[in-house]
Amino acid sequence: MGAIPDSQRDLLRLLAARLVPESAKLSRTEHSEMLALIDQALADRPAGMQRQFSLFLRVLRWAPVARYGRPIDRLTPQQQDSVLRWFQDFPVQVIRSGFWGVRTLVMMSYYGRPEVGATIGYHPSANGNAVLHARSRR
Amino acid sequence: MLDRDADVVIIGSGAGGGTVARELAPLCRDGARIVVLEAGPKLRASEFTGREVEMARRLYVDDGGFLTEDRAMTLAIGRAYGGSTLVYTGTSLTITEPTLERWGVPGLTHSDVLQRSQKYLADNNVHLLDEEDLNDNNRLFAEGCRALGYRVEQFPLNLKGCTGSSVCNLGCPNGAKMGTHRVQLPEAERQGVTVVTNCGVDRIDDRAVVATVTERSDGEPSAWAPGAYRVRARAVVVSGGAIGSPALMLRSRLPAPLPALGRYFTCHPALILVAQHDRPITNYAGHPKSFYCDHFADADGFLLETCMYFPFTTAKSLTGFGAEHSRLMRAMDRLQMILVLAIDPPDPDNRVLVDRNGRTVVRYSFTDQVTRSLVLAMRASARIFFAAGAARVHAPASPRFFIEAGDAARVDELIPLDGLVLGKVAIASAHPMGGCRMGSNQTESVTDSWGQVHGVPWLFVADGSLFPRCAEINPYVTIMALADRVAEGVRRQLPELRALSS
Repeated sequence: MGAIPDSQRDLLRLLAARLVPESAKLSRTEHSEMLALIDQALADRPAGMQRQFSLFLRVLRWAPVARYGRPIDRLTPQQQDSVLRWFQDFPVQVIRSGFWGVRTLVMMSYYGRPEVGATIGYHPSANGNAVLHARSRR
Repeated sequence: MLDRDADVVIIGSGAGGGTVARELAPLCRDGARIVVLEAGPKLRASEFTGREVEMARRLYVDDGGFLTEDRAMTLAIGRAYGGSTLVYTGTSLTITEPTLERWGVPGLTHSDVLQRSQKYLADNNVHLLDEEDLNDNNRLFAEGCRALGYRVEQFPLNLKGCTGSSVCNLGCPNGAKMGTHRVQLPEAERQGVTVVTNCGVDRIDDRAVVATVTERSDGEPSAWAPGAYRVRARAVVVSGGAIGSPALMLRSRLPAPLPALGRYFTCHPALILVAQHDRPITNYAGHPKSFYCDHFADADGFLLETCMYFPFTTAKSLTGFGAEHSRLMRAMDRLQMILVLAIDPPDPDNRVLVDRNGRTVVRYSFTDQVTRSLVLAMRASARIFFAAGAARVHAPASPRFFIEAGDAARVDELIPLDGLVLGKVAIASAHPMGGCRMGSNQTESVTDSWGQVHGVPWLFVADGSLFPRCAEINPYVTIMALADRVAEGVRRQLPELRALSS
């Protein structure tokens, strides 16, 4: 088991699908790789920070009960987006920062995979100047 | 615990420590034992893969995401053989006379710093890139600035054999960046200095350093076997950077009160601005940082620089999420980027601390002036993007995800002064400064103008923590110049410093 409790892995997959819609199309193996990246990043952080991350995921899951009567994983995608925007713009900084942290880890887990470059028009080369010079000759 | 003896121990191998090592290295000919303790690894050439997450894990503290106490800002702190000189873009500017006058350090003159800086500009092969090596991302910035009448300059860069991989911040895969890992440290080692990598320093005792060498799966083996060490020395030079140095000194029991230790931390808080063009541009091919604009530095307190970041860093720097965020990310080959940096004031309450578990904490509050500067910088960047032909701009302080070119005249209205929301917008810093500031007054400074810690004759500091205020430019050349000066002071005083008897 990694730094993410098993009970929160499905929630993270759901959040990833809302934050980075393309992640919903990934295979089970690719999803596991995403979660492994988050696990690895959290594992290096102090235990207190890991606990805060886990606690914040619980807050994200259950806070919608107050408005919708259901946890986030039982809302429609539009309602889920609305909840996430509410956290993103929350008036208290510590809550915004908590959301920013979850969002950042999800972004890392998707965009930090080397193979993502091919899907977003990013193809760096060790010899980028050769690409530049070839373009300028065209 | 294993015991070692040395004449000089240098903690850290970046712009400060690497410079001191090279400057003191000739003493090895006369039998001096000089040791550099570096917390990070010395990676093999094949280990510079250019892969974002992998290299961030290898080369940065907390994977490049060290957070301030309130989590409003991340700090990029390099940790490797060469320190942050391994992971910067090589921009090599010398500090201006007005800035040094603002520093107001008795005994530190601009001519002295300039003379020492010029030595490192020559040693590090600093030059301007040829026209043919400038990509569209950089050219468009310069064109936009010129069209608007903003002063724009080309960055001098410390490169040799650059092939334009664009991944400077992940460690150059071609070894083309002339940081201390390529110039000063190898020269110091040739002359007899020992560099011990994978060696974290726990604390400084009386003329001794307590350190631990660990085993890593990557990089070359450390010069010392894994284990705990106590290294006695006649002089200790702390060069762990503006966060590491004050934190280490706060963890140590130093024999002098230093009320300013850790205080007056500044860092040029920065944001990445992104614009999309309707056609592909060259951005990830070629050196990423060729131009800067200091047009607004005096009046509005910000600097603009070209930049090109990697997918994850770009994704987290955009606000929002979902479909529109993804659409912008899928246009990486059409993105133009500008890095905006605020010139932040020295504030004694912005400081490095150590918590009860000995962990480093950075407490930093954004002044109204700094947030205003960042918003004004977004407006100026948006104008530059549009002047360069961008179709739309993403400004994190705007309530809209995009400002379209048709709304270019409404930039001020669409990027409101109160639009920058901490905790929502990704703010980062790669220029930590202060914490062991130079000065003559023990209440408001930590060292004298030669980097010697007040009241502790055997302890010196040589890194960006010496800065009494921010540098208002990319700081590494100034760090080297000051480290050169510190090394001169150590050389002068070493004969009078005796080792603690065992």
